Amino acid sequence: MNLEDIKKLAELARIEMTEEEMTEIAKSFGSILEYVGRVQEVNKMTEGGVKSKEDYFLHNIMREDTATNESGFYRDKILEEMPESENGYLKVKQIL
Amino acid sequence: MKIDLKNLTIEKAHDGLAKGEFTVRELVDTYLEVINEKNGEINAYLEIYNNIDEQVKIAQEMFKNETATILTGIPISVKDNILVEGQIASASSKILETHRAVYDSFVIEKLKKHGVVFLGRTNMDEFALGSSTQTSAFGITRNPLDRTRVPGGSSGGPAASVAGDMTLVALGTETCGSIRQPAAFCGLVGVKPTYGGVSRSGVIAMGSSLDQVGPLAKNVADAEILLNAISGYDPKDSTSIPDDKREIEKTFKKRIAIPREFLNGEGIDKEVLQNFEESCEKLRKAGYEVVDVSLEAIKLSLAVYYIIMPAEVSSNLARFDGIRYGNQVKGDNLLDVYKKSRANGFGKEARRRILLGTYILSHGYYDAYYNTALKARDIIRRELSNLFKDFDAFITPTVPFLPFKLGEKLDDPLSMYLCDIFSAPANLADIPSISIPSGIAQNGLPFSIQFTAPYLREDILFTIGKEFEKLV
Repeated sequence: MNLEDIKKLAELARIEMTEEEMTEIAKSFGSILEYVGRVQEVNKMTEGGVKSKEDYFLHNIMREDTATNESGFYRDKILEEMPESENGYLKVKQIL
Repeated sequence: MKIDLKNLTIEKAHDGLAKGEFTVRELVDTYLEVINEKNGEINAYLEIYNNIDEQVKIAQEMFKNETATILTGIPISVKDNILVEGQIASASSKILETHRAVYDSFVIEKLKKHGVVFLGRTNMDEFALGSSTQTSAFGITRNPLDRTRVPGGSSGGPAASVAGDMTLVALGTETCGSIRQPAAFCGLVGVKPTYGGVSRSGVIAMGSSLDQVGPLAKNVADAEILLNAISGYDPKDSTSIPDDKREIEKTFKKRIAIPREFLNGEGIDKEVLQNFEESCEKLRKAGYEVVDVSLEAIKLSLAVYYIIMPAEVSSNLARFDGIRYGNQVKGDNLLDVYKKSRANGFGKEARRRILLGTYILSHGYYDAYYNTALKARDIIRRELSNLFKDFDAFITPTVPFLPFKLGEKLDDPLSMYLCDIFSAPANLADIPSISIPSGIAQNGLPFSIQFTAPYLREDILFTIGKEFEKLV
């Protein structure tokens, strides 16, 4: 893993980082990825027979799309937590 | 009267309160005095709540009108990632430094009904990303048993608050060992419940398929009482186990497995291993059959964990962007606000794991890492489920080594990650696990043993645990 790869990841993760820190992260990724690479050994294991992806993938648990609380119940408290709000709306920088 | 905090248990405290030997006020004040004296150096608490008087009054009232339960008036500390309405919950991160919870988490809601007294919020590794409480944005926490050493993590604050007699019991959370390991380092009992046993509603997420809330206490009975009080179905957590599915057949075989190759695989300290063998011998003398077994997939647990966890961390921490809550840093445009707020708000280890997760989930590596890890997780689950056909539990030391010095392992992330080696199987397989003190080393530091039981079989952990406590 080199500095350019880390720069791209930082861009994707939307975190501004110094070159110095990215260099250090690139270095630590070497030993971490080598360690987690052991997971490939699982392809030699057949405990309980080979399963399809559907058997072991995480799946979403769905519920009816209904209101779980009275409308506006948390409104004021949530507004209070916003770094910037105006007339009961969240205020953000212009997007378009 | 002087209350002996060192030997106090929930049951003794309840007795004292019920018989009028002391009041809730006196009990709470005794703890507050110790906090006052010790917390400056230990830094277990980030904040003492401002509404303790009110809570004390409610508890005292419950004793007066005879609606008190065993937990009424019991002082509890709360890890900084568990929401308590109106209080700051920062997950020990700068990005949430000023964030006030707008609602109670499920566990807090349940405990409030008992009239417990929440003393304050405790320090932790930032977003629970660590094993030593050294990555908190608000300073390190010291181990009360040896102040030059770490208390473990990420629930280092909760553990130090109990071990330092700054509360009777504590609420912690774990994704992989973050309750059991600090409990081990501070000479306490820690329980990681069955996944779905305790609701995650109102708990700041780290690895959603692994996270659980659980108790840290001075003994097994206290941990059991607190866990029972916070367990239960919650429709607000889609992974919470419905009540009717909690009823299962409870057999007891008095057989315990030692996953031998797993133990010998990584650099385990000689004296830790020796203490472990002595514990096994004690269990044998107490009538348990304790035998070596050979397991294959369990050895991959930590590697699997360090793929699934960062993947989930990078997804969960994406919501912290300085827009809707938390600290915001001004920028030229919206993207700039995100980047600067996240740069300013996240510490080093949080950034590392976000980037690691982003990499693991990126096109081209997804199959090699994430999908393979899910496959391995499934095989580990089945391997353990097969094991439990013949055994009540399997045992390992909780951590491969004793509490280390402050500052150690911080610059070597992989060696820090290896703290979690024996913790990972329980989280990956959704099963309950307990860490229990198993003696004292020559240098005075605590040894700890860990029992891991089948799905929903916390009862096994408590039964064996209470028996084991008497043998140490």
